[in-house]
Amino acid sequence: MAQSAGISRDDDSSEREFWRFLLGLGRGAAGAMLFGIPMLMTMELWELGFSIDRFRLLLMLVVNIPILILLADLIGFERTTTWKQALRDATIAYGLGIAISAAIMIMLGIIKWDMPWSELLGKTAIQAIPASIGAMLGRSQLGGQDDDDDDEETSDDGGDAVPDQISTRYSQELFLMAVGALFLNLNVAPTEEIILISYKMTTWHALAVIVVSIAIMHAFVYAVAFKGSHAIPESIPWWHAFLRFTLPGYVIAMAISVYVLWTFGRLDDTAFTQMLMSAIVLSFPGAIGAAAARLIL
Amino acid sequence: MTKLTDNRSSEADDPSWIEWATGLLSGVLVIAMIGWVAWEAATEDTRPPEFTVTATGQQMTPGGYRVTFDIANDATQTASAVVVRGEIVEGGQAVEEADVTFDYVPAQSRAKGAMFFSRDPGASEVRLRAVGYTTP
Repeated sequence: MAQSAGISRDDDSSEREFWRFLLGLGRGAAGAMLFGIPMLMTMELWELGFSIDRFRLLLMLVVNIPILILLADLIGFERTTTWKQALRDATIAYGLGIAISAAIMIMLGIIKWDMPWSELLGKTAIQAIPASIGAMLGRSQLGGQDDDDDDEETSDDGGDAVPDQISTRYSQELFLMAVGALFLNLNVAPTEEIILISYKMTTWHALAVIVVSIAIMHAFVYAVAFKGSHAIPESIPWWHAFLRFTLPGYVIAMAISVYVLWTFGRLDDTAFTQMLMSAIVLSFPGAIGAAAARLIL
Repeated sequence: MTKLTDNRSSEADDPSWIEWATGLLSGVLVIAMIGWVAWEAATEDTRPPEFTVTATGQQMTPGGYRVTFDIANDATQTASAVVVRGEIVEGGQAVEEADVTFDYVPAQSRAKGAMFFSRDPGASEVRLRAVGYTTP
């Protein structure tokens, strides 16, 4: 990475492009590790690697592809303009996710060569999903910061400068919330604690969790002024944004929670109330993830 | 619509109808869920775990005879570390014993398990029962 920074301006542009690409790969790998390691070091996820229903694993692996492509289109590796580029970036992120997961699990002795292939592949595949999302996020969040900061600096100083208006579509906003929820859910859903908590809680606790989740979600985006917070114009009452963004966001977080729990086989042979309780527990981190995604991405 | 101005977003004041529709639908779903949980909370009677264990099949395997069974917890409290004991009974005497521990048997839910016997339980009576549990 040091070399790429040191490349002087008059160098051949294709060579610079090559180093920039390598730098991107490095950032992607760093992202895959940063976001993937909590899951790579979770025992339950190794076990899921061989115990998970193969159809559900396949479904999640396939669902991950459009998620990565859409993410690439929104926040991509390079400034993606075409679907072809988005597809390329998604493929790279997925590939990085698989490679990094496998490499770290080999290093930690979680994967050994005398294991059956189904276990080996299952473990790698399940880890590759969060790692590939991490690779994509790493590339956009770890990279390009210097440029963004410069832009912001100038716009803050010269408040009257021509505003750089980008309108983000409503569906994009909802999609980002889904990715944020999915990401945090994948982190915590495999652990036994989620169902244990749902067994320890009474239904009164569950009610409190729902209300607090929704309140945190709203406060995260609108009240606490993080960088990237969304401002509500004075003329609009607070409940407009609450109804249009926070409530749909919570429903998305719930839906993702149910999907992830189902994928990991946590809902099998379970009564409806119990399913709902574990989904409510999982939606708590999911809601925070969804709100954070709106701010960060 | 969300407008990103100078890297800060502000919500537009002319949102499309689809945003309101999504918001209203979500509101209905959230209220329905809160309603359901509240109703459960209000009407819930906390019955301690009760189990029914039913054998569902027998197979011969290289390691012995497998007896599969379902355990159902019909009560409204979840049980953890549920020990199920199986006995092959011949002439009123338990001739072989095996037991299995379930991590959890959630409230009003069922779980599946199996145990192995070295002798063929075929004709004899197999007695299955839960012998204990802890609260999670």
